[in-house]
Amino acid sequence: MIDFEHVTKIYETQNDENVALEDINLHIDDGEFVFVLGHSGAGKSTFLKLILLEEKCTEGSVIINGQDIGKLKRRKVPYMRRQMGVVFQDFRLIPTMTAYENVAFAMRVTNISTRQIRKRVPYVLGLVGLGDKMDRLPDELSGGEQQRVALARALAHSPKLIIADEPTGNIDPEMSFEMMELLSAINSVGITVVVVTHEHQLVRRFKKRVVTLSHGHIASDTAHPEVAEQFAASGGKLPKELDFSH
Amino acid sequence: MRFSSFTYLVRQGLHNMWANRLMTFASMGVLTVCMILIGVAYLLGVNVDAIVEYIGDQNETVVYLQDGLTDDQIAAVDSAIRTTPGVVSVTYVSPQDVLANYSSMLDDYANMYDAFENDNPFSANYRVVVDDISQLDQISAQLKQIDGVDDVYAPLELSDAFSSIQRVVFGVSYGLVAVLAIVSIVVVNNTIRITVFARRKEIAIMKLVGATNGFIRFPFFVEGTTAGLISAILASGIVCGGYYALCDWYTNNPTTFSQMFGGQLVSLFDVWYYIVIGFFVLGFVLCGIGTATSIRKHLNV
Repeated sequence: MIDFEHVTKIYETQNDENVALEDINLHIDDGEFVFVLGHSGAGKSTFLKLILLEEKCTEGSVIINGQDIGKLKRRKVPYMRRQMGVVFQDFRLIPTMTAYENVAFAMRVTNISTRQIRKRVPYVLGLVGLGDKMDRLPDELSGGEQQRVALARALAHSPKLIIADEPTGNIDPEMSFEMMELLSAINSVGITVVVVTHEHQLVRRFKKRVVTLSHGHIASDTAHPEVAEQFAASGGKLPKELDFSH
Repeated sequence: MRFSSFTYLVRQGLHNMWANRLMTFASMGVLTVCMILIGVAYLLGVNVDAIVEYIGDQNETVVYLQDGLTDDQIAAVDSAIRTTPGVVSVTYVSPQDVLANYSSMLDDYANMYDAFENDNPFSANYRVVVDDISQLDQISAQLKQIDGVDDVYAPLELSDAFSSIQRVVFGVSYGLVAVLAIVSIVVVNNTIRITVFARRKEIAIMKLVGATNGFIRFPFFVEGTTAGLISAILASGIVCGGYYALCDWYTNNPTTFSQMFGGQLVSLFDVWYYIVIGFFVLGFVLCGIGTATSIRKHLNV
């Protein structure tokens, strides 16, 4: 699904170079559920931007669905993006549109027929439990509900990959647990889920694979959240037998 | 693109126009004014052109014959004039014709004809029209060489003056059209830029869910070109209506000055399609360019 091969990303400013990611090697399989954990400045955003094709890597290659996205033609980028769904930390809903319209809008602009939209939108909103709140504006919904609208929007065009950026950042813990349950459910039908977060607690509750980013490097890549925890506690040294990154 | 997508995008464009109606109104106002000025410049050019043409036609070169030539001599002069290169039309005016012409011109002096009928003071002459007025100098010199020709009167200064007026008016009106075209592009560009800026979040979302650039651009094109076309309709109506009224007034209020230039303006019915088509093309093309240049920057998400 997602392959990072010796990926380095350097942001160049006028008289400075800022290394955001350095020599990252990562493989995420179809149907996996992966947490990408890291403090701010660890390179999470850059990681996300590379996957979303907002930035191109300076060195190495990012391969998504067998496509090297560095070699992707500009006009192919939109079609690549249709293969994934993103839930942003700030949801990015359009405030003047109802929940239904927000989801429909994302489908409209990707050239999907009106008939399909009419069928699909109530379905995905029903999936995230908002079947009865389709005609509410984002302002009339709670934070958790808004996030679920964003998730419904990400799911609308049946992507194979869902990326959640800080899904717990803007909602209370109760809600974030529900959100994670939803993501697990989505994952259980075979959709790859990547959750980018800085919250160790969240990671600990769900026993899934954790990739820890630190200062632009992969510090650990392990199936056990507790190990990642230990690693963080011990100051960055991972016992060899628990290190899955190589 | 699906038809349902197409209609959706058109509706979006029109909706945006209404949502930004103040801005749309302002830009359409400026566009309309630009187009009206372009129309005025064009009509001015056309009329100066027509006047110069008219002057060129009216002021034929007059070739005066010497008095007392025999018919044979006149025939020789006639053929000599006709074979001069550059001459397109030759009309013989006998002394009687000249007299008849003047007496009919001056109604109060109709009896002049009687007074001079048997003692005609006018000379026979030829009215010669040349095809290229810039060659007038040369041709009149040639005509003067012909045996039996007394004098040649060519309206050299007048033709020079009007040619240069024509050139200046042409230059000024084309320059004006070019400047106004640029102004229109800037205005449309600015308007679309503002609406793009207001909707940059939507655009970012569209990009991230995988909308193609064409899809994102389309509503703005609809917005820009609709503004252009509405401006074209307004400007066509104002310019054509105004010009029609002006023509009417000009014909109904003759002055010596206007009579000198033929007494009427170029008819609206000869030029209206140039104006209307020109405005529509202008509205469409300028707004298209204005839109294309303004959204490019925001598409690089």
